[in-house]
Amino acid sequence: MQQGVLPHTEDFGGLEAGSLPAGAHVDARPGRDAPYKAYDLGKAFDEMFAPDGVVRAPYQALHARLATLDAEELKRRQQACEQSFLHQGITFTVYHDTKATERIIPTDLLPRIVTAQDWERVERGLKQRVQALNLFLADIYSEGRVLKDGIVPRKLIYGSKHYRREMRGLAVPHGAYVNVCGTDLIRNESGNFVVLEDNLRVPSGVSYMLANRDVVRRAFPGVFRAAQVRAIEHYPQQLLATLKSLAPFHEDVSIAVLTPGVFNSAYFEHTFLARQMGVELVEGRDLLVNDNMVYARTTSGLKRIDVIYRRVDDDFIDSLIFREDSTLGVAGLFNAYRAGNVIIANALGTGVADDKAVYAYVPRLIRYYLAEEPILENVETFLCREPRQLSHVLENLDKLVVKAVGESGGYGMLVGPHATAAEIVSFAEKLKADPENYIAQPTIQLSTAPTFVEGGVEARHVDLRPFILHSDETRIVPGGLTRVALKRGSLVVNSSQGGGSKDTWVLSQ
Amino acid sequence: MMLARVADSLYWMSRYIERAEHTSRMIAVKLESMVEQTPEDAAASWTRVVAALAGEPLDLDSGDAFQTVQALTFDRHNPSSLASSLRFARDNARQVREELSTEVWENLNRLYLRIQSVTIDDIWVHNPARFFRDILDTLYLLDGMIDTTLRHGEGWHFLELGRFIERAQLVSRLLDIHFGVAAPGYVVMPPQPKYLDWIVLLKFCTAFEPYCKVHTAAIAPERIAQFLLFDAGFPHSVRYAVDRMRDALARVAPGAPPARRALCERLSGRLKAAVDFGQIDDMTSDAIDAFLVDIVKQCEQIHDAVYAAYIGYDAEAVL
Repeated sequence: MQQGVLPHTEDFGGLEAGSLPAGAHVDARPGRDAPYKAYDLGKAFDEMFAPDGVVRAPYQALHARLATLDAEELKRRQQACEQSFLHQGITFTVYHDTKATERIIPTDLLPRIVTAQDWERVERGLKQRVQALNLFLADIYSEGRVLKDGIVPRKLIYGSKHYRREMRGLAVPHGAYVNVCGTDLIRNESGNFVVLEDNLRVPSGVSYMLANRDVVRRAFPGVFRAAQVRAIEHYPQQLLATLKSLAPFHEDVSIAVLTPGVFNSAYFEHTFLARQMGVELVEGRDLLVNDNMVYARTTSGLKRIDVIYRRVDDDFIDSLIFREDSTLGVAGLFNAYRAGNVIIANALGTGVADDKAVYAYVPRLIRYYLAEEPILENVETFLCREPRQLSHVLENLDKLVVKAVGESGGYGMLVGPHATAAEIVSFAEKLKADPENYIAQPTIQLSTAPTFVEGGVEARHVDLRPFILHSDETRIVPGGLTRVALKRGSLVVNSSQGGGSKDTWVLSQ
Repeated sequence: MMLARVADSLYWMSRYIERAEHTSRMIAVKLESMVEQTPEDAAASWTRVVAALAGEPLDLDSGDAFQTVQALTFDRHNPSSLASSLRFARDNARQVREELSTEVWENLNRLYLRIQSVTIDDIWVHNPARFFRDILDTLYLLDGMIDTTLRHGEGWHFLELGRFIERAQLVSRLLDIHFGVAAPGYVVMPPQPKYLDWIVLLKFCTAFEPYCKVHTAAIAPERIAQFLLFDAGFPHSVRYAVDRMRDALARVAPGAPPARRALCERLSGRLKAAVDFGQIDDMTSDAIDAFLVDIVKQCEQIHDAVYAAYIGYDAEAVL
């Protein structure tokens, strides 16, 4: 074995852009030439091709490289990649009947590319947004200025099932409630990045961001090197630094990742992060609270825990305060938290701010707290709680996407243009019965990116979830998880509904 | 710091890997030696294999090698089949993934996925022993990875502890079955082992060549027992396993106070004395049986003591 070559590296020969073999079809057009014969340019913004079919600059090297590969070769690479995920155990468990099957989340080998210029704006916009959201949370759990000033309706906050009364008057380190944020961005028809939703509770997917990089870099070493892609591998160190900064009270901080356990669909991610940070991975049953201190049961006895990066939802974290049937959390944890003896990240009660109705107010919150204009816009959103907006929504159900406020993962939603007349009628009834529970947005054509499908490369809709870390400072690694709707024409990117993911390349220039 | 739950999983992962290795090797050796035996001798020998590997008697025709290998290898309802051992090992490993190296985890996971996708029909037509030799090689590779890619910290010592408690019990039980004593539940035992059976016994424990180096090829049951029980330098002897078990016990739970360590140390010291000063020469076969049964029992007591001291202890009592 040649030195410096990984035994499982099966690259395409590491060709650099510009040194293509004879016969390479460098101007392969969508809809005309292999491997892009079935590539549709629709209404959506396409990441690779301009509307006239000309290749956009950042994608030129990848485009040329793909034109030299036959479909069999791509398929072989795709299978090798899937094998690699399976062997690594990067799987989630699907339960049907009594049988549990482990499946991989499909990774598409073709990277999604973001230019340095676009990223610079995205990064500034995300920092601004996370700062405003944290100020908002600090406000509603203390004075409630924003409510007194009538910026956000009181009922929207106090009526939210994610508002935690128990958090009122409790100070959190650096005023940072959301320490790990995953904000979903999409590119609209004109190619601008806009915010689709914020995930402020226990956002997941960062391990896929890192795992995808690992396999895709091996699949396209030449293009990767030439593109000068910015590194993302330091995410675990950044997360560790963020968690440490929350506990300034002594040097030897003991940190743990709290997982619901091996049956959770994100379990791989929990083990991955614990391992990469070099901290303990604990389950609720490993911890106990005595005299408002949190301890882990170790072989040598009990050990104090200072910071918990929890991947367990608020509802399940402490059966004494929240759901009493929960066995995933730690009885007494909240009191230890209140007493200041343990830090929990993210703080409890952050879900109130990623509610789909509160989302509509975020641009106003940015102006209110920071006196700045939002750098990243929201998708236009109609609040069904407001009668005028409701009637507009009801009249245009066939054109709109309607989402239940408290749901996530693509559940409880209506995609108007893809719904049958009967589905629309029955959804309208639900909507009229409980308008406060819904918001509506125009169907946005998420941008499309080149995606490998059996036989060639086709356009598929994508979004982007960057991960923002926030405590004494705000840190973002350049990139995120690009999710892709693998079904032709589908706009639903959630992994629970047939979505896959892609590596995201942020270029350094 | 080592979580009690993590120690528990590492310990069991290791025990199941040891069991899988033992199972694969016994089946491989048995399949390879079958051709040299009469059908009656082969059936008797299969009965001993089943008695050594299955926790409870299996409903099998001992003359039917196909059926026996199926039950011992692929039967998911048999908790001591090879497929079950690998599944339990992998399930435990998955729960402590963060404690393992990528090499160890992926190798074990691949092995698990592989055995999931194979059936007895796939392996039976051409040289079935070959399949078990391949599994065995993968397991030896895994042993090497555990040794060479993991930090030899507390977690590794729990792996050692599990491996060598399991090994001491497996070898003792195997010897007991060959010395003609009924295992619990096995009322009718096959006739006395013949010459070839003693060689096969050595091969079950990778001991044939090492034995010949010490005792020459002169095959004598007492010497075989002596070697497999008391040889200090042979990795599959009970004495060697007990020494490694004691080393591991001295290093787990470094922060536990002496009072909590006392019982584990006393029990393992007693077991060490038994294997350090034991002698086969003057024992009757009943005495050998009693001795072997006692070793298995002492291992169980050590297991219980480890759990009481380090894993299942009452948290309120140590606050």
